Amino acid sequence: MAGKLAIVGSGPSGCYLAQALRKLSRDAEITIIDRLPVPYGLVRYGVAADHQGTKSISRQFARLFEKQDVAFLGNLEIGRDLDLAELRSVMDAVVLATGLYADRTFGVPGAGLPGIYGAGEITRYWNGHPDAVDLAPELGARVAVFGNGNVAVDLIRLLAKGAEDLDGSDFEAGHVNDAVREIHVIGRSPLEQAKFDAAMIRELGQLDHVAYQLATGDVLSESDEPVVAALNALFERDVSTPTKNVIFHTGFQVDRFTENNGRLGGVLLTRVGADRSLDLDSAITAIGFTADTSERAVLHDAAKDLSEGVLAPDLFAAGWFKRGPTGTIADNRADSITVAGHVVERLNAAGSEKPGRNALIERFDKKLTDYQDWLAIDAAETHDAPAGRCRAKKPSYAALFETIENRRQTACK
Amino acid sequence: MQVTLLYGTESGNAEILCEDIEADLSDEHEIEVADLQDTSPEDLTGDRHYIFICSTYGDGELPASAISFGEALEKDAPDLSAVRFSIFGLGDTTYVDTYNNGSKQLAEMLTAQKATQVGPRGLHDASTGDPAEETAIPWVKERLAELQ
Repeated sequence: MAGKLAIVGSGPSGCYLAQALRKLSRDAEITIIDRLPVPYGLVRYGVAADHQGTKSISRQFARLFEKQDVAFLGNLEIGRDLDLAELRSVMDAVVLATGLYADRTFGVPGAGLPGIYGAGEITRYWNGHPDAVDLAPELGARVAVFGNGNVAVDLIRLLAKGAEDLDGSDFEAGHVNDAVREIHVIGRSPLEQAKFDAAMIRELGQLDHVAYQLATGDVLSESDEPVVAALNALFERDVSTPTKNVIFHTGFQVDRFTENNGRLGGVLLTRVGADRSLDLDSAITAIGFTADTSERAVLHDAAKDLSEGVLAPDLFAAGWFKRGPTGTIADNRADSITVAGHVVERLNAAGSEKPGRNALIERFDKKLTDYQDWLAIDAAETHDAPAGRCRAKKPSYAALFETIENRRQTACK
Repeated sequence: MQVTLLYGTESGNAEILCEDIEADLSDEHEIEVADLQDTSPEDLTGDRHYIFICSTYGDGELPASAISFGEALEKDAPDLSAVRFSIFGLGDTTYVDTYNNGSKQLAEMLTAQKATQVGPRGLHDASTGDPAEETAIPWVKERLAELQ
């Protein structure tokens, strides 16, 4: 009998780790813990609502809980409900796969003004994350997106789309950005060096009513990068009466954000030989993600072998919690497979003396949510989907727990 | 019939699909499953039927686990004239221009080495939200019925 494992975080890295570990060990006890009452983390709350094909990897992960004897324990936050040390004391091994939650921010004057949002919080709001239900961003007509990566492209696309462009998604009707007219895209490096995927830039070209242009006075240098061809194709499209305009600015640093009536009024940009000022109603920063607590840095500093995900003999790290904010979902799959190789060694050597999952269930009992609870939410959300949408997300803790409570009462009858 | 399912995957969907197909067909057929990453084109023989399950990644490229196989096909140019295969692609029409390009490329690379493709390429579009196995399993059964 192999040992008992808890994976903290039910996003793609945690689920891929469980998947890889189950292949290596048929009898290890595997428990995936999440602070939210529902599983799948970034897949449910970070992948854009109109990328349902990407979200479909949750079908893979469902097998963990349905066929591969992996348990989901939701609504359990390590550090709030239970210390990491306590979790380690009841498990043979613990893997931290909690991702990176917080948005990196600009350290420039005005960066804290109302009207400036982080990509992460906006994405969570658009995805019906219960922590973001009250965000209610006021984006107005003129929005700037800061960043030259794929997170920025998701934001541009969802800002540019109208209700009819969101058919098949689970984007909530009330969140559609109809008031937006101008989307300014601002990156620090020259646009030809942008980290956008060409495929995602081409996807922007499917929006017939949106015009894309390079800002007056800016130049896109020639390059063999596919992204440059994709951008040029966008700029060359002929859109006679655009409903929205997307303007790319190349190679600008933010000098400062300016205030108007107590909130964001504009931005002053600078690059060698040029300044530019833009009037804005809102800004979204997509300049990277970072840890929301100091614990990660402490664990990283003390790590035995961070590149292999080994923090201590019984403690491991996976995904962005381990790697930092780089790499796609698929990159993190490869990484989780590597880490699982170390975890299984630990589990195989363990004596199976630890109480494992049962200790958590005994202590927290009905507070915990399980996979059956998630199935009830999934069924309710799918059933309630309005026309043109695949799902109506329960956007608050109250709505999630109400559905769970209903299921439990029905199950008892 | 002896059938080998070979998957090329990046996010794991093609691998899971192979497991589903294997579970569904193993009563009637002798099924083996392998990752293209662990397969050399020279391993392919005329004694079995090969079904490739291949996704598309990045800008219409082969997925990570199919890359070494694809490179070996081009570099070693093995004679695959005895080999018969069918191919099913996993794609996403969100990316219109490169939809299912990975499976298309792989099919072309195999036929360029004289392998014989049996039946049309199967396609699944992840953006529909329909489970891939619901399209793939009937498609595999049709291919195997054609061979018998």
